[in-house]
Amino acid sequence: MEREAATAGVTGAVDLSPAAVDLRRVHHLPCGIRQNGAAAVSDYFKPKDTGVEVDGMRVEEAFFRGRKLQGATIALPDGYRGYILEKKNAEKDKQHLEGEVSNFKSRAEFQNITYWNHDTTPSAEDPLPRCFHLLTVANAMHKPVTAEELANMSSMQNQSNRH
Amino acid sequence: MAAPEWATREPCLMGIDEAGRGPVLGPMVYGCMYCARSYHDTLATLKFADSKTLKEEQREELFESLKDNSSIGWEVDVICPKELSAKMLKRSKVNLNEISHNSAMGLVKRALDMGVLLAEVYIDTVGDPEKYRIKLTEKFPGIKFVVAKKADSLFPVVSGASIVAKVTRDRALRKWAFDETAQNMHMNTGSGYPGDPATKQWLEDHKHPIFGFPTLVRFSWGTCKPFFNNAVEVTWESDEVEEDAGGNGSCKRQVKLSSLGFSGFKRKSEEIESSGKGRCKFFQARKLELNRRFQ
Repeated sequence: MEREAATAGVTGAVDLSPAAVDLRRVHHLPCGIRQNGAAAVSDYFKPKDTGVEVDGMRVEEAFFRGRKLQGATIALPDGYRGYILEKKNAEKDKQHLEGEVSNFKSRAEFQNITYWNHDTTPSAEDPLPRCFHLLTVANAMHKPVTAEELANMSSMQNQSNRH
Repeated sequence: MAAPEWATREPCLMGIDEAGRGPVLGPMVYGCMYCARSYHDTLATLKFADSKTLKEEQREELFESLKDNSSIGWEVDVICPKELSAKMLKRSKVNLNEISHNSAMGLVKRALDMGVLLAEVYIDTVGDPEKYRIKLTEKFPGIKFVVAKKADSLFPVVSGASIVAKVTRDRALRKWAFDETAQNMHMNTGSGYPGDPATKQWLEDHKHPIFGFPTLVRFSWGTCKPFFNNAVEVTWESDEVEEDAGGNGSCKRQVKLSSLGFSGFKRKSEEIESSGKGRCKFFQARKLELNRRFQ
């Protein structure tokens, strides 16, 4: 049980009031950049279309710190938006002693995410595109079950019991 | 491209040389020049001295005369600095000798594909001459390879190739168009060698805390190292794997990217990817993890 509590994450509140900046697309790089803040991305990071298409995704090429990156852009599905969140100073909330409490504020929004691989061509098998499977699973799990569906289920069960 | 008519009838000699192997910036250029064996004596009178001993204007002039000379054929392979950096910083790194060898072999192959009757190839060595000669001979049996140190000052056909390469590199630098659109960039690069004050100044003028340098620079060069020490730290998965394989006894902390997938949550102690223990396989495979429960 203790482990469950540890993996359940910490609690936070998020303020998604309209952000000032619409980035349209964000880049997800295969490296850690130990810096938080603005950067002259459009002056230095210049993706170029390669003309190659893999699993329905157009492959782009760009360079960062001398490494060749290959990327693909994924549009967020309808009904979803991407947010860049900034962590607000964590005030210790006495009522939630169990975990760290932190608050976030939306600084920018995006509709597309370009993820970049170092040396490998993007494919539908990469972790990032596969992340979007969660949305399908979550939709299926959280969709209310109708009375009709329940009836169908029980009749199917009855049938299989008879055999 | 088809070879000149004479090159398909008569056995030919080819010289191969490089320009810009050492500098921290700009392309590395491999050039070749070839002529019929029967023309070689005439070639020797054309004063194609080693390009390094010539002034820039002399090299330009010689290159123009060489282009106009219908008894001479030439080709170049321009390897841009982006490509050099990328290859040398790949997950499985390609070293500069290998890049050089491949470029030279590419020129030989190009000439053969064009239909040039190559009999002998003279080439300046990269690495051990004998090993290089064996490598070339195995790749192209039937061609006699002469691999030598300072081949450019020994064989006129290599001197010619050296001019082709050097002029091509100089021109590429002169008309260099930056990919980057940052302000105040210039091309007073100096020689590109670390001892050159102009090169030092250029690097100083163009360093960037996050992006490092414009892609004119070869990021894999040692000359860049001191600049990266003062820049924002960037960690790559491929580097960490290498450190691990190095096995220097100490158990190096394996800093993995916690920001893969949807979670960009920085752990308090280290940015270590969660082991995924206790998480459903579906989430493990997608590198998904619950960061925070939002209210």
